[in-house]
Amino acid sequence: MKQKFLQLATAAAIALSGVGTAQAEGQGILDTIIERDSLLCTGHNGSYLGFAEVDAAGAWQGFDIEFCKALATAILGSPDKAQIIPISWAQRFPAIQSGDIDVIIKVTGWTMTRDTELGLQYSRPYFIGPFYVMSKTELGAETISDLEGGVFCVNSGTTIERVLADYMETNSIEYETLAFEKGEELRSALYAGRCDAIAGFGPFLSSTRVNAPDPESLEIIGEVIKLEPEGIVVRQGEDDFLDVINWMVSVLLLAEENGITMANVDEVKANPPSATVERMLGVTPGVGSRLGLSDDWAYNVIKAVGNYGEIYDRTIGEGSRYKLPRGLNNLWNNGGLLYPLVLD
Amino acid sequence: MNKLLSSQKFKRASIQIVFLVSLVFIIVSLIVVGQKNIAAQGIATGFGFLERTTGWPISFSVIEVTARSTYARVLFAGLLNTMLVGFLTLFFATVLGLILALLRVSSNTLMNIVGTTYVEIFRNVPVILQVFFWYALLTHLPSPKQAYDLGGVAFLSNRGLMMPAPTLSATDLWVLIGTLTAIGFGLFYAKQNGGAKRRWLIAIAAFFAVFLVLLLTGREPDQSLISIPELKGLRFVGGITLKPEFSALLIGLVLFGAAYIGEIIRGGLLSVERGKLEAGSALGLSGFQINRYVRIPLAFRAMLPSLANQYVWLMKGTTVGIAIGYPDYFAVVSTSINQSGQTMELLALLMGGFIVVNYSLGFVMNKINDRIKLKGRS
Repeated sequence: MKQKFLQLATAAAIALSGVGTAQAEGQGILDTIIERDSLLCTGHNGSYLGFAEVDAAGAWQGFDIEFCKALATAILGSPDKAQIIPISWAQRFPAIQSGDIDVIIKVTGWTMTRDTELGLQYSRPYFIGPFYVMSKTELGAETISDLEGGVFCVNSGTTIERVLADYMETNSIEYETLAFEKGEELRSALYAGRCDAIAGFGPFLSSTRVNAPDPESLEIIGEVIKLEPEGIVVRQGEDDFLDVINWMVSVLLLAEENGITMANVDEVKANPPSATVERMLGVTPGVGSRLGLSDDWAYNVIKAVGNYGEIYDRTIGEGSRYKLPRGLNNLWNNGGLLYPLVLD
Repeated sequence: MNKLLSSQKFKRASIQIVFLVSLVFIIVSLIVVGQKNIAAQGIATGFGFLERTTGWPISFSVIEVTARSTYARVLFAGLLNTMLVGFLTLFFATVLGLILALLRVSSNTLMNIVGTTYVEIFRNVPVILQVFFWYALLTHLPSPKQAYDLGGVAFLSNRGLMMPAPTLSATDLWVLIGTLTAIGFGLFYAKQNGGAKRRWLIAIAAFFAVFLVLLLTGREPDQSLISIPELKGLRFVGGITLKPEFSALLIGLVLFGAAYIGEIIRGGLLSVERGKLEAGSALGLSGFQINRYVRIPLAFRAMLPSLANQYVWLMKGTTVGIAIGYPDYFAVVSTSINQSGQTMELLALLMGGFIVVNYSLGFVMNKINDRIKLKGRS
């Protein structure tokens, strides 16, 4: 706890000393990243299962980490140039303001306060996060109102605290909340039975369930209490950087739409099926120079991390131990909410 | 002029003035630079957010807090939570500490061993581990449906200890607290009238009278006098609940703090010279009288400064509550930072809050110290 206080205080001290603003005044952050030859991206303090976790070999894995790698590849040409900084939920905003990190890719919900008052800017949503409630199977709850009077555990300082409060008030369900700073304590409180249910982000709930001592003792209730679009966050005024991020997300989706994968990208590049694909992979110029990048950046990204679907499957989908269905995070033509922008 | 410059008084005064001016200058420039930098990053500043509603509830508070409460109210509730757990810790830790000290100075070997073992165990384990331990223990109790039944009126489960409580409304409670304060002041100032015993009796009688009146008049017509917790669905309704977060934090801090306070008290007791105790028995005082009139007053003087220090430390120790989900001031500030993003302002409020609480504590302890210290010694 003291350590956390120190970190917050350090962030404050940095804000005071003015170190962080050096970049804001002079060059854009994109130039800084290129000069430094590494991208400082968010990890997690501990593990946020499925999104940012450290594997047995000590390497960062997860959905958000893949996006960090994709962004590093787009700008610097190699996924290894993404430097992952472990950071807690609460620290992410002070850290980006002080310049400790370049970008927040940490399933960060797009809220008005953050967008307007914190000096931040959001990319288009790269993930649609549905909020669910997961309860103890023994309670036999089929809907959330069956949990009337129960104790709900949540991650403190996240949007879920508000979302749950809103939902419960709208549906006039009485409940109690218990907010925990760290995921580990939240999980152990749930497993010990201190809470009847936890509310949170779908993927977080399923990963919590998979890791439970007895996964069968927990079940996710079907009702979606709220949908939250998650964006990638940069400091206010970094328009060029934000353009790169938006188009990187778009390229990942466009690649999936066109069936371009990590495995067949070379083949497709040699024999592009359409003018759009040709432009995207840099066979004809334009995709890079307009963003201040090399023309083969999109090719490099797909080669390094694959398309959106591949990233999803590998980290949280069918190919991972979490086995999350694509749901709304599918392309528009597969029943999802995601779509690429027009690459002309 | 030369005379003025060589004057000791002038030199000292000018050094102090220069120091003070530079200190003010440094602080003001820090604030100005900080604000400029924050504004350059496009972040809103100021304390306007305090009037906005938070949108999130907290799990435990003395005053009523909902998702529609303002930041100011939620922060105040957090401060009250810290003070509640803090002052209760000080009280219980002092009582337990006194017992430990008596065990350790006693000539009975068994008592000595018990006291020493306790101190060595609880002093040497970090407080956060102790709090985690108690929390794990309390949350591994059975669920409400299989709760331990304590005589049909109280229940112990992993949701805490549910106990029967008199049916009093929130306003009744405030009236009661007010009465208690008034009686306290009365006791303090009405020294001359009657013996100590009589004054205490009157005070206790007055308190119970007010309590009974409130209990009989305050409730709704159909409510019973005492509300007994009963199982309804997933939880117990009625009575009052001691939540595990609160209990674990309190138990952890009390057991940890008592080990230190016990040692401070023991030091105080041992600091009283043997000669004075012997002088007491030479005057024909009994063992109890020696303790009451010679040993404890002298020991109290010796231990008060370090006791004040320990009290302030324990008050700050409540911040470990964040680890087990107890919404103390630090936890509430931390969540607010995350939700509103007003890092600098909230950190200032966090520090300010603790300074106010701890300064008041120190102030009271110093006053007591001034009153009881041996007069005529500097």
